[in-house]
Amino acid sequence: MLKGDQQAFADIVDMYQDKLYHMAYRMLYNRQEAEDVVQDTFLRVYRNLDRYDDSMKFSTWIYRIATNLCIDRLRRRKATYSLDAESSEHEGLDGYSMLPSDNRTPESETLLSETQRIIHQAIATLPAKYKSVMVLRYLQDMSLQEISDVLDMPVTTIKTRVHRGREFLRKRLEHKL
Amino acid sequence: MNCNVAIIWMHDYLDGELPQQDTVELKAHMLACPECRARFEQLERTESLVSSSLHTHAPLEPGQSEQLRQRIMAVLPKDRKQLSWFRWVRNHPAVSVAAVFFFVMLSSFLSMWHQDGELIVKGNDLQQVIIQGDTVIVPEGAHVNGDLTIENGTAEVQGDVNGNVTVIDGKLQLASTAHIAGSSRTIDRALDWFWYKVTETVTDMTK
Repeated sequence: MLKGDQQAFADIVDMYQDKLYHMAYRMLYNRQEAEDVVQDTFLRVYRNLDRYDDSMKFSTWIYRIATNLCIDRLRRRKATYSLDAESSEHEGLDGYSMLPSDNRTPESETLLSETQRIIHQAIATLPAKYKSVMVLRYLQDMSLQEISDVLDMPVTTIKTRVHRGREFLRKRLEHKL
Repeated sequence: MNCNVAIIWMHDYLDGELPQQDTVELKAHMLACPECRARFEQLERTESLVSSSLHTHAPLEPGQSEQLRQRIMAVLPKDRKQLSWFRWVRNHPAVSVAAVFFFVMLSSFLSMWHQDGELIVKGNDLQQVIIQGDTVIVPEGAHVNGDLTIENGTAEVQGDVNGNVTVIDGKLQLASTAHIAGSSRTIDRALDWFWYKVTETVTDMTK
């Protein structure tokens, strides 16, 4: 590989690494997993660089890869938990009890106010299909059209999910705030 | 206005997709309907709380960011290098085969070159040649018919040679009485050696 290529790729990593990490962290609420997702994303980008389709924006492509990896992990996690779930559906399960233990919680998170904690918990408990949409919308500030490009779904579907996700969060937060 | 429609419009409004005219209509409805007003306030607050909560707490500190970067870069390059090398080979089979052939030939020549330090003397007429240690002597007054090739040794020619004298990886010493009918050459380097082998092979074949 040419030295120039390597430098170009390093620039891509610089440009997207933190954004992708934030997104993955908000989806998974686990630092280790978020780092793994970011690493896997770049690995896939790297391997498939010559298959990248110019008609798609590069950012759309890289977010698509990262989002899919996050959704896969959320699904796998859900499958694991439902195996030994004896209790009824959602009762007694809040976001954190469903998460793999993460003792590497960053400083900034341990100092959260109670209100912030409640909001985080609400976001963490969003079902995967709403979570990806909400994180892209509110963290990445993407338009409905951009989200539809990233997730490769019709805009109408994205719209419905934003609405339902918003209602889900509203219900979670209305009693607590 | 129906409250269910109003709720859909509220979301459209928050998405920034509600037409101006409908916005006016929605506002009028909310003024008259406290329930919808409360609902809208909740949605608006949820929206801003979630947005600010997601934005304000960046979980990645600068040191971690750098660590992650290094981790990513460490996993990458080798892989692709290998892949692109493999792809090149696949796209250029003839050149690859030629390169492999050349490599094998070259390494076998080189190994021949380095192989032995022992003295080798080749020629058609070696009866009058004297060997002392690693020195090959053609004594004064002697007549060697044909070529003489010496590897890894010193050639000391005092008499006549009716042919070529070739010394590989060694020295050629000519006495004043020496007479070489053909050419005399000293080969010291691998490349010369290689070239010598090639021309030797070719002349052998054309004989």
